[in-house]
Amino acid sequence: MDKQQWTDASAVDEVPEDDVIGIVVGGRDIALYNAGGEFYATDNICTHGHARLCEGFLEGHEIECPLHQGRFDIRTGAPLCAPVTEAIRSYPIRIEGGRVFLALD
Amino acid sequence: MDNASTVFPHKIHWESDGTSRIPFMAYTGADQHRKELERFFYRKHWCYVGLEAEIPNPGDFKRTVVGERSVIMVRDADGGINVVENVCAHRGMQFCRERHGNRKDSGFTCPYHQWNYSLQGDLQGVPFRRGVRQDGKVNGGMPADFKTAEHGLTRLRVAARGGVVFASFDPDIESLEDFMGPTILGYFDRLFNGRKLTILGYNRQRIPGNWKLMQENIKDPYHPGLLHTWFVTFGLWRADNKSELKMDAHHRHAAMISTRGASGKAGQVTQVSSFKESMQLNDPRFLDIMPEPWWGGPTAVMMTLFPSVILQQQVNSVSTRHIQPNGNGSFDFVWTHFGFEDDTGEMTQRRLRQANLFGPAGFVSADDGEVIELSQKGFEQKPYHRTLAELGGREVGDTDHMVTETLIRGMYEYWRREMED
Repeated sequence: MDKQQWTDASAVDEVPEDDVIGIVVGGRDIALYNAGGEFYATDNICTHGHARLCEGFLEGHEIECPLHQGRFDIRTGAPLCAPVTEAIRSYPIRIEGGRVFLALD
Repeated sequence: MDNASTVFPHKIHWESDGTSRIPFMAYTGADQHRKELERFFYRKHWCYVGLEAEIPNPGDFKRTVVGERSVIMVRDADGGINVVENVCAHRGMQFCRERHGNRKDSGFTCPYHQWNYSLQGDLQGVPFRRGVRQDGKVNGGMPADFKTAEHGLTRLRVAARGGVVFASFDPDIESLEDFMGPTILGYFDRLFNGRKLTILGYNRQRIPGNWKLMQENIKDPYHPGLLHTWFVTFGLWRADNKSELKMDAHHRHAAMISTRGASGKAGQVTQVSSFKESMQLNDPRFLDIMPEPWWGGPTAVMMTLFPSVILQQQVNSVSTRHIQPNGNGSFDFVWTHFGFEDDTGEMTQRRLRQANLFGPAGFVSADDGEVIELSQKGFEQKPYHRTLAELGGREVGDTDHMVTETLIRGMYEYWRREMED
């Protein structure tokens, strides 16, 4: 085990393929993505209109906010188009024993 | 049986082709007022919206009006000034309620359904555009052919000069410079000569009278020495001050230019009975006047830019006065007192002290709000009648004295041309 603090977030099969769910981990709103079998996690609240990204649309590695159609790269949290300009935070992921673990800090 | 009303005529009636007798009905009636809004505020005219110094930083905005339409003046990320209409493209709501603020990070969002616009007024996105997912199915959403680019806010044309911002709903409007004409532009540039402006403060008042009466008030050099006893008592205004009245070629805009006699409180003034030599200001700093090089001679230049604004220089007090109609019988009057970035602290204090003459409770201007209200009352009770504006004759033209109502006649010459067309 490395020095990261890993927090158990979800079962792998809770997240449908090419979809996103919203979960609370360690008191934080997290969006957990399954993009073609690869898992990613970001903050769930859009930096622009403060909507929940888990209610948006995942296309490849881009999550589109349901409120104003801003997009983020789920791998890095980077903003991709107007109106979003500020990144969301992304979290390191680790899969072990059918569970998804996040490094929150 | 006579059905014709003698008190309430159906149509406005001018006694002649001239404009020295102005029908009371020029100030009454909702239909005519709407026609004025169309012809003067929404077409062919640049309307004042504010000063650049009110929105210095990206995202800064000011809510104001053009005529009776709510608009927002906003500085975008590139430093450009935009004026957009404060009406959401979705359900028509006036979404912005703050007078001033900053929206650099978020743009404008209508609270009703959270439609979101950029600082240039472009629609960014709409909630649930692609519907809402529920149990593996997507419900609702906008039609596939919905394009955000087609549903931005209405953008106005914008012109800025010397730090003053004007806007127009008319896409075909002439340049601001052509709109003012060379004579008025010269006086505009005298006041706004490129120095950065600083905002000293605001006054706001609602005056229950027709908006044109405010224009007329500043086109009327007959009244200051008679109505404003404060002016006369303390020597700021005399009917024999060296003065000129000038108009643009359309006679819609004007400048009243006057130069105070060197004597100040001159003992030989006899033509105005209210002059009281014995009265003294408890605090004489209200009249601590310091000539400034940019004046270039005149001590007061009052400009009327038709239809929306008055630009004031009265000795050291400078301000814009924005006329914001609401119905034929009322307007809001918003004063923006400003200074210049290179003013000393002492000069700023002087401008602020002299600003006490103006505004809703000003030593001088309080009188104007009241006479405008009472004029409107007269018009409403007796709409078949007319005013007289025959001081200095019945014609229209520039003069080298103040004893004339020529500027009022000039404005109505223009008014008739535009309204009777």
